[in-house]
Amino acid sequence: MSSDAHLLASPSGKRRWWLLIAVVVVAILPLVFQDSYWRANLIVCAINVMLAMGLDFILGYAGQLNLGHSAFYGIGAYASTLLIIKLGVPFWIAFGAGMALSGAAGMALSLFAVRLRGHYLAIASLGFAVIVHQVLLNWISLTQGPLGIYAIKPPPDIALPGLPVISFSNPANMFYLVAGFAFLFYVLLDQLVRSPIGETLAAIREDEVSAASFGINCTAWKVFAFGMGSALAGAAGAFYASFVGTLVPDAFTITESFTLLGMVIVGGMGTLMGPVWGAILLTVLPELLRGFGDLRLVVYGAALTLVVLFLPGGIVQAVRIARARLGFLPVATDAGARQ
Amino acid sequence: MLTVALQQGINGIVFGSLYVLVALGLTLIYGVLVQINFAHADIVTIGAFAAYFFTFVFGGNYLASIGIALMVGAALGWLVNAAIFAPLRERGSELLPLIATIGVSILLQNAMLLWFGPIPYAFDSPYSNKVIRLWGGMFITWQNLIIIVVSALTIALLYAFMKFTMMGKALRAVAQDRETAGLMGINPNQLIMLTFVIASALAGMGGAMLGPILVLTPFAGTSVIVKAFAIVIIGGFGNVEGTIIAGLAVGLIESFATQLVNPGLTDIVVFTLLLLMLAVRPTGLIAEEREENV
Repeated sequence: MSSDAHLLASPSGKRRWWLLIAVVVVAILPLVFQDSYWRANLIVCAINVMLAMGLDFILGYAGQLNLGHSAFYGIGAYASTLLIIKLGVPFWIAFGAGMALSGAAGMALSLFAVRLRGHYLAIASLGFAVIVHQVLLNWISLTQGPLGIYAIKPPPDIALPGLPVISFSNPANMFYLVAGFAFLFYVLLDQLVRSPIGETLAAIREDEVSAASFGINCTAWKVFAFGMGSALAGAAGAFYASFVGTLVPDAFTITESFTLLGMVIVGGMGTLMGPVWGAILLTVLPELLRGFGDLRLVVYGAALTLVVLFLPGGIVQAVRIARARLGFLPVATDAGARQ
Repeated sequence: MLTVALQQGINGIVFGSLYVLVALGLTLIYGVLVQINFAHADIVTIGAFAAYFFTFVFGGNYLASIGIALMVGAALGWLVNAAIFAPLRERGSELLPLIATIGVSILLQNAMLLWFGPIPYAFDSPYSNKVIRLWGGMFITWQNLIIIVVSALTIALLYAFMKFTMMGKALRAVAQDRETAGLMGINPNQLIMLTFVIASALAGMGGAMLGPILVLTPFAGTSVIVKAFAIVIIGGFGNVEGTIIAGLAVGLIESFATQLVNPGLTDIVVFTLLLLMLAVRPTGLIAEEREENV
């Protein structure tokens, strides 16, 4: 992959090794988990990582509490699927269109809510999520409402000359695809937050009035961040539809928004690694607790509350504390580099 | 035609006054603390279940069960403040308490799901089937009459408390300027606690009255709370009069939208109204001056 070559050329040696390890782990995972149940969970993990990264870019980096991430996820899923089914658009074009539409919806909401901050934006985005869910539910001629859309095809096979055909009905290949995109988005966001853009966003998040007095166009940057984050949710939605094969509006309720928020918070808001760990932990943990039935979501709620109360930096903060206790030198994590 | 409209009007006022009860709690807390309590929804649900169990398991009187739900709500409000808002107050973050209460909400909903199960409870209030006939074929059930009367009395009492008692004045003083109020010998922490207890008591009793007219599941409060948020914003965050007007208006709009358009579209109508309000007049119907710290 070309992105790998780019990474290896990046100046930070330690980060380069970590990314290489991540690539190897992603490559090995489907070989370790052979049964279809855990392979499906791997794909769900990768989708959730993508969603959580996008949400954290809006929340942690641009400081906008978005409770409507489920709406952008749903818009991406439905837009790409409907383009494929109703208009016969090829998958990858529909994928791009879904991403673009989600991003545009996010930018529109952000532009609309630009005068609003904190709680008002939270409620406005919550309202937006309710509206989108209700539209999906009630626009039956388009979305088939609660009956749902069935038999959605996986992404088309890739046939490279001289190689066996790569079919995405094979969960291992699907995982490589989604995880590959998640990885790509991670690298993209990583470059973005380390660039002056990241500092601009941090300045706006910490003190909007001061940032504006330095001549920063706060509106434009907030809209940009919201658009980026929701476009990622759109991509996740397109992958979700083509992986699961069915779409029902109830996959995109506000509960899903809260779940994603939980992943970001538990992992560590305002860091890049945090949402990744948060998404993995909060996808895998409920599966491990499946034997306990409804108790798993009680654990989920308790984890979210306790993390906010006692460990507001999430897993990333916990790791940093553990490192300091064990006597390692502080390693430049994403949050460390930002501060 | 007119009677149909009036009948829908009665239904709208019934739901509207319950929305007001729930939304008033949110707006009181916001007024004093500038914080949102997401677990408010679950206090409504727990109030409904408390009333249900009191009436059907312990054989109590339905009207008394409203009082029980009020007390349960008050206790939960105290707990939520002591466990979440008080410890987080020092950190001064706008968003952390909100996120923490989302966690509490997920926790409570699923704990209820664990204990009470997903199947809706048939909360048949003894007053639901007794009908008072009005003119022109219109009617009102005793249950709805109880809802309107109890809500109106409660709201009037709260209003009088806020306007005329020393404690109510102190509460408004804390809402206006916590530090100065502290200098005048008011203990802000006690008053914040009081606000939570009152707000949650309203939610609890709202739940007891909503129980018989909603589908009572562990998630019943959620559908009410998203509307309550819309009402609070439409009325102006922290504004009691605005909340009352907006709550009744949303109840009526919902009722007429159900009749005229399509029951599935009521949420879309309400939330489009919310977004329009935010675009045109983010301060709500009745604007309240709030200084911004720059």
